[in-house]
Amino acid sequence: MLPKNHIDELREAVGEDGLITGESQLQTYECDGLTNFRVLPGAVVLPRSSAEVQAVVRVCARHKIPFVSRGAGTGLSGGALPAAGGVVISLARMNKILEVNIADRYVVVEPGVINSHVTQRVTPQGYFYAPDPSSQSVCTIGGNVAENSGGAHCLKYGFTVTHTLGLEVILPSGELIQLGSATLDSPGYDLTGVFVGSEGTLGVTTKIILRIVKRPEVVQTLLAAFDSPQAAGQTVSDIIAAGMLPSALEIMDALAIEAAEAAVHAHYPVCGGLLLVELDGPAGEVEALMSEVRGICSKNGAEEVRVAQSDAERALVWKGRKAAFAAMGRISPNYIVQDGVIPRTALPRVLTEIDRMASAAGLRVANVFHAGDGNLHPLVLYDRAIEGQEELALDLSYRILHLCVDNGGSITGEHGVGKEKQEALGYMFSEPDLNTMQLIRCAFDPENIANPDKVFPRTRLCAAETPGPYVPHPLETAGIAEIF
Amino acid sequence: MTTTAAISAKECATQLSSIVGEQHVQMVGETVTCAPADAKQISEILRFANANSVSVTARGSGTKMGWGNPVDAGIHLDMKRLNSLREHPWQDMTCTVEAGCNWAAMQTELAKFGQMVALDPLWPERATVGGIVAANDGGALRLKYGSLRDLIIGMTVVLADGTIAKTGGKVVKNVAGYDLHKLMTGSFGTLGIITEVNFRLHPAETSVRTWTAVAGNVAEFAEPLRKLLDAQITPSCAQIRINNARCEFDVRIATRPESLDDQAAKLRKIFAPLDLADSSQAVWQTNQEIVDDPHAAVLKISLLPSDVCAVSLEIQQWAADQGIEMKLAAQAVGIMTVAFKGATGTVPALIQQLRTRLKKSSGNVTALQIPDAMREGLDVWGCDSNALPLMREIKRRFDPNRTLNPGRFVGNI
Repeated sequence: MLPKNHIDELREAVGEDGLITGESQLQTYECDGLTNFRVLPGAVVLPRSSAEVQAVVRVCARHKIPFVSRGAGTGLSGGALPAAGGVVISLARMNKILEVNIADRYVVVEPGVINSHVTQRVTPQGYFYAPDPSSQSVCTIGGNVAENSGGAHCLKYGFTVTHTLGLEVILPSGELIQLGSATLDSPGYDLTGVFVGSEGTLGVTTKIILRIVKRPEVVQTLLAAFDSPQAAGQTVSDIIAAGMLPSALEIMDALAIEAAEAAVHAHYPVCGGLLLVELDGPAGEVEALMSEVRGICSKNGAEEVRVAQSDAERALVWKGRKAAFAAMGRISPNYIVQDGVIPRTALPRVLTEIDRMASAAGLRVANVFHAGDGNLHPLVLYDRAIEGQEELALDLSYRILHLCVDNGGSITGEHGVGKEKQEALGYMFSEPDLNTMQLIRCAFDPENIANPDKVFPRTRLCAAETPGPYVPHPLETAGIAEIF
Repeated sequence: MTTTAAISAKECATQLSSIVGEQHVQMVGETVTCAPADAKQISEILRFANANSVSVTARGSGTKMGWGNPVDAGIHLDMKRLNSLREHPWQDMTCTVEAGCNWAAMQTELAKFGQMVALDPLWPERATVGGIVAANDGGALRLKYGSLRDLIIGMTVVLADGTIAKTGGKVVKNVAGYDLHKLMTGSFGTLGIITEVNFRLHPAETSVRTWTAVAGNVAEFAEPLRKLLDAQITPSCAQIRINNARCEFDVRIATRPESLDDQAAKLRKIFAPLDLADSSQAVWQTNQEIVDDPHAAVLKISLLPSDVCAVSLEIQQWAADQGIEMKLAAQAVGIMTVAFKGATGTVPALIQQLRTRLKKSSGNVTALQIPDAMREGLDVWGCDSNALPLMREIKRRFDPNRTLNPGRFVGNI
């Protein structure tokens, strides 16, 4: 628990109604979307402005209190998991869209603005905000910035970083800085690019300048049914090889289709591998490309090919896809989702290997993935009530991540490393790589108070800045951290 | 050799010879040039330089050595031997290329599989991958494909202390760890030496057409530019060109042949009542022609797209008032390159004037290439960011001895 004087200072920063210290209320914040990790924070603050965030961070800096910023808490890697006894900065009240500039195609938002609200705001002018994580109706832009969120359409449109022009950031020292701007190529290091995706370890963003995109003239969504995900995967490779860049290429296997059907009745064809192809752009272009895609699907033995005939039908197709994780509850009491990435061409062999590993472990794995960019979402199904099965499932999920790295890929395409995949980051990167990343961390946060003990495989402390004889840090003495 | 160096140029050359071989080391005056073969040799060179307070600058083909503040480095790393396209798994649409590889040579190889790195930098026939990335160069294709930040998926760098670090990876989508490659892109060799870059690729453009409209006054382009950016067609490039009094607006569209006429018709509506004529692809060389004159003062201006026409007009009028020659190319995304030739003594005053004017809309002006006489008292970068102390701290953490390109970048980093 935090000492009374710290609590008093936090109260002064955000007011009585912006401070939560009661244990039952604090429990609301003890985890994010990764619910098997839970830690009770010492306090939660709900600032309303950049100035209040700054005041809170200054208190934390003064007393070296670890803090974790939090949006809607939908993250799937434990990025918003509190530090024990630390401060959670909930940005939920900072939810205003501050500026809309259609002529120059940007909006300025506070971090608590919900992703889909940005699109809703600029829809009347014919624009949208492109990154569309499955949780977009509830997740916040601040969280998206922290995780560099993607979504089904990032194959064509890119990730959060592609659409982030600038940021206002409160550094862990409490200092307020601007990174980037509405214009391009601000002189200096691209710190906006570095901050996006840093998982809350470099500071708190309090204002975000986002690029908005003109809505395409035509959008067409095709569903093709194959007898296996591998056949669907080959079709994806052929579409790409033909020089096309669809806005989305998604694959679901039989288990995932079964779960999504049970949950939202998306009227998917019953098959072993369902491919969803979305093309958008000028009408003539989309029409020409769609006819080519149909030909490629037939050539690869598609049993059924159909194009959604209305906006409502297309929305239903996507609802099923985006509900796929939650729908797993229909076919399994518990599941673990990972989001490893592999080169597209490794898809058939990695899927076969995942099948083999699942059989050997005696578990089922459902597959839903962004096939265009090789971003897998293996869902390891298990029953916590069966003794030892959760451990088996966790072990399998981590081995799948290693399999991705072994095939030239990454441990995470959009969920982030957070608390969940810290060790796997050490499998993907060597010590010199991690030490180099740590240089950035130490420049932003020398005291290691911003979302500490996340992302990196073990706690690393920044070298002491004060002259004088060297005194080992207690964590170093205990053998659980090393001075960097 | 710089005055802070702990050893003589001759000793330095001897040491470098033992690392890269005598035939790859040259000494001209107090500067030693050496051509390493790989990242490992660069690591050894940097360890040696860092320990002996010898500053180091990396050089591809030297096309952009004049950008930023001048650096008198003791060691010039000639990257020409790191020149191969290491991997091109074309079905994954990625490639890994060494930093010293010539840009056009890389693109020629990728084109054999109908692919490209979707970027049109200056001097593609001469410039190298590493130089382009270190300077964050790019051209008009940015409208459709974004900048290097969007195209680089991984990198290998050597730090001042000799650490060889990898960042990112070889897959298009990857959020594991910090994106060090974003920090390195555009850092002008001040944080590390880039030895290898992983790119995401795009299908090469086919069925390409360019159209040009001509106007008596650049202000006539304001409405077509606004409409173009608001349209549902997909141009890959759009630029406004001014050569003294002549104003032109080019648009390039690359699409399936079936869609070309339809998009052209929409484009004509956008430009009406101005005429659009078919034009040559050569118009996209304008940016290069602007910077090609070594005697010209060249500025890079970042501004909001909605300011492009007004600011172009102001610059045009200013040049006419001063009686000096002026050429300008403004990309639709809000990046403008302007060259002045003749009695350019008043250009620093224009730079200050433009910086003040653009401050409110967060625009900025960089003096890309200026005669030496004009450097006195002029901050070529014009960076007044409140993040400058943080940038300095990053430099200090990465390169505490200021071995790499000291002083070249913003705030004399």
